[in-house]
Amino acid sequence: MYKTVIGLEVHCELKSNSKNFSSARNGFSDIPNSNVSVVDMGMPGILPVVNKEAVRNSIKMALAMNCEIPKYLTFERKNYFYPDLPKGYQITQFKHPIGTNGYVMINVNGEDKKVLIHDTHLEEDTTSMDHYNDYSLLDYNRCGVPLLETVTEPCLNSADEAVAFLEGLRSIFLYTDTSYARSDKGQIRCDVNVSLMKEDATELGTKVEIKNINSFSSVKAAILCEVARQTEVLNSGGIILQETRRYDETLNQTFTMRSKEDAIDYRYFTDPNLPPIKIEDDWVNEIKREIPKLHNERFSTYTKEYGINPKDANTIVREKKVSDFYEACVALLNEPVLISNWLTGDVMKYLNRDSLSIEESKLTPKMLADLIRLITLGKINGKQGKEVLEKMMDTGKEADVLVSELGMTQISDESEIRKIISNILLENKNLIEDYKNGKNVFGYIVGLIMKNTGGKANPVVTSKVLKEELDK
Amino acid sequence: MDKKALETLAKKLMFTMDESEYETLSDEFETILKQMDLIGKIDGINEVEPLIYPFPLDNVRMREDKVVDELPIEDILKNSGDTLYNQVKVPKVVE
Amino acid sequence: MNILELRRKLDNGLSSEKLFNECVEAAKKSQVEYNPFVTIMNKYEKTDSNSLLSGIPYVLKDNISTKGILTTASSNILKNYVPVYDATIYEKLKKAGAVLVGKTVLDELAMGGTGTTGHTGLVRNPWDRNRQIGGSSAGSAAAVALGIVPFAIGSDTGDSVRKPAAYGGVVGFKPTYGRISRYGLFAFASSLDHLGIFARNVRDVTIVTDIVKGHDERDMTSLPDDDKVYLDIIDNDVKGKKLFYIKEALDNASEEILDNFNKVIQKCNDLGIEVKGESIDKDLLLAIYPAYMAISCAEATSNDANLNGIHFGVRGEGKTPDEIITDARTKGFSELIKRRFIIGSYILQRENQEKLFLNAYRVRRMIVDKINELFKEYDGLIMPAAAGIAPKFDEKSDKLSDKYLILDNHLCIGNFGGYPSITIPSGFVNDMPIAINITGRIKEDYIVLNIANKIEGTMEYKDQVARGGYNV
Repeated sequence: MYKTVIGLEVHCELKSNSKNFSSARNGFSDIPNSNVSVVDMGMPGILPVVNKEAVRNSIKMALAMNCEIPKYLTFERKNYFYPDLPKGYQITQFKHPIGTNGYVMINVNGEDKKVLIHDTHLEEDTTSMDHYNDYSLLDYNRCGVPLLETVTEPCLNSADEAVAFLEGLRSIFLYTDTSYARSDKGQIRCDVNVSLMKEDATELGTKVEIKNINSFSSVKAAILCEVARQTEVLNSGGIILQETRRYDETLNQTFTMRSKEDAIDYRYFTDPNLPPIKIEDDWVNEIKREIPKLHNERFSTYTKEYGINPKDANTIVREKKVSDFYEACVALLNEPVLISNWLTGDVMKYLNRDSLSIEESKLTPKMLADLIRLITLGKINGKQGKEVLEKMMDTGKEADVLVSELGMTQISDESEIRKIISNILLENKNLIEDYKNGKNVFGYIVGLIMKNTGGKANPVVTSKVLKEELDK
Repeated sequence: MDKKALETLAKKLMFTMDESEYETLSDEFETILKQMDLIGKIDGINEVEPLIYPFPLDNVRMREDKVVDELPIEDILKNSGDTLYNQVKVPKVVE
Repeated sequence: MNILELRRKLDNGLSSEKLFNECVEAAKKSQVEYNPFVTIMNKYEKTDSNSLLSGIPYVLKDNISTKGILTTASSNILKNYVPVYDATIYEKLKKAGAVLVGKTVLDELAMGGTGTTGHTGLVRNPWDRNRQIGGSSAGSAAAVALGIVPFAIGSDTGDSVRKPAAYGGVVGFKPTYGRISRYGLFAFASSLDHLGIFARNVRDVTIVTDIVKGHDERDMTSLPDDDKVYLDIIDNDVKGKKLFYIKEALDNASEEILDNFNKVIQKCNDLGIEVKGESIDKDLLLAIYPAYMAISCAEATSNDANLNGIHFGVRGEGKTPDEIITDARTKGFSELIKRRFIIGSYILQRENQEKLFLNAYRVRRMIVDKINELFKEYDGLIMPAAAGIAPKFDEKSDKLSDKYLILDNHLCIGNFGGYPSITIPSGFVNDMPIAINITGRIKEDYIVLNIANKIEGTMEYKDQVARGGYNV
């Protein structure tokens, strides 16, 4: 058996108004070439000017990944020819990345793992290309969009760990509000390095790089099939060649792109157009203060302090908006488990049904807290609660308004319930006989009470009073 | 530097050269490499930080995140030899 | 005529359009014998302004971006390129009301010092058709020397303004690195590139500098404004100023050059300027030329990687993107340029960076440190601008050589350290103009102009127009 060793290089587009080195819009547009400047096109004579917001977002991410921040901001050029790279080089960070030596905690099957971050660096995205039968078309809208590349150490040992890291990383982008990180729009993309080593080996095996995978599920599939391929090669006495491969989703196979010999020498050198800029400690501290509590910290609060099961806790922390909603709710009503049940249950169900995000929905934390309070106070029962929730999410009306509109306020007053029970028992004296003779009529009588009250009798109070009356 | 090595260098830069030029280039390489050798022998050169920018620039400011310059589509396409559907057209790029 | 003479004529009723037409006529005539122009404007265009340059005709080197006007960098690969944006320097001159007469020939992509490698043919020296005017700002130097226009804009990466100025008997000035925005100047070697000004006297150069200098948000290497009007300073007394020359650089100087230089020193002394010889390690001086070649070729190979014929420029033929790029670059560049790119690219290769590329930058620092040390004591460096008069066409080529004179290459000290540096005519040898150069401390452009202006005033070589010139 072999041990799998995986390292990831994750590219993610950052949020900003304008591009990394030009003042054209950074926005996803369906209209080709609608957000392009001369700088993006690498026209002769252009010069790059660094976007402060892109740097701020990079520093924020670097800090959120517990990285060290360099004293100066510097950039290098990565030189290669490709139709999607108008300048003939990409501006990136090679010598002094914006973040180094960090880590991200992940949880895989209940186990915590520290994923080491080699570095994270700020660079620019390339032109997007649409491929047709015998030609390709270039759309420069994406060209120059700020891109943060995060490189892990080869410290992941399974496809599940890789995916858990990617989800964790995506979550940090969302929590820090530095990216939309949508894989469906190609905003987050991944290169995967896979190698195998004997269980008792001390040195890493030869690594194979799989380039440009666009979804987390493909990352998982690509790793699984590459591990299978390498295992087969090794088992049949072969050796793994250091190379770059690509993953074909339809065939679920990896294919050779280029061998080590053909590896490009990018001839990195410092971009003379971008002088070093001092990164002031004050600025870094200010950015640090803007980082909210991240998902893994919240996860551990939810599971350890609130006693939420890991599955539900995960569902809540997956999106910051949901987690913020949850915490706002808990602040209003100290029933973390109940709130979690409602949120991960019916609330999610209705959101999914209507394809809404939590902030698009009409439901507010206060509305949900009020609803759950009505239930805990016994004003309505759980079944009614579900009905009220659905109406609430449809109409945006407050819980108590809906409860009275639907006429479902519960009867919890003991004396009132006792009066109703007395009347029923008076009309059905035989039932008292049967009860005393040990027949199982208790439930039947409760049914009569519910029928009589239109289901509004508080079930707990009802059982208690009925027992008292029967036992008289 | 033999001709083969020089051809490889040219290929990486995406052009070919006239046959007769390789000899000139080879001479030039010999010259510059010899000169750079001498530079490498200058006393104390290894202790010196490379000077990339003519002098240190203070007060370098980053750009505020505003959308300012965008080109009209005609200007984007104006200088390209082949366009289609408001995009620059190239023979199919095989990745 | 010089700028101030034309200013008076314009103010006294000369129509600037008539003046423009005269310049165009002269420019057209000059083409046959001297070939300074890539483009001669056929339409008079002027912005309203009260500046000293309002209505004054001028020319731009053809590597400065002019919206709607062909800009070729004298290279076949850009022979059809019409920029869609204006360089900052062009914007400023336009706003000042200066009138563009034409775009001038340069050595292809500004990589050369002979004025012989432009795609529209070589430029001849207005003082002697059989001699070079020098490069790379060949056409700009020739246009001023011929008296077609009172000033011209060039670019200077090693000596490309100051050397042709010397050979052409005119003034050539390159201010401190970053004093004039490089935005829109087609990059050759970004860490050495400067814009520069040709005129027929120091005062004119100063007038133009006052207009084109200033901070530019589109160039991160541009200096903050210094809020000085240089024109107000250049007549200041220079008594007590101190200059030095480099003794070793004069070792092999010809008698005529030495003779002339000594005369200039005498004039300096008459002005109260102290001039002393200082020693600099010959190994360092001999390193200037190869270090310049290494740095400039390396940076250029990356800067010019945008020239692939896809996004702009002449499109190559072929069935794949690689083929069309290769075809465009093979046909688009002259063999000299290709050799420079190959050398530059080799220097940047991973295995060579330390020994070649970084050592070149290291020796650059050693030279600059040495000069800065001397600048603690001296206000400037004074030297003969070149080792001799303009060479004949068969005397000098751009082939890399191991036989070079320090005296012919010291001007790029000004580019290594970004120093303000000016060349002014100082006499004649064999009926051809020769010149001296003054280089000063960074950011002290006004001191260099001041000293140059005073020295110029003691000699009779200002406002020269070459034999065969027009003196519009």
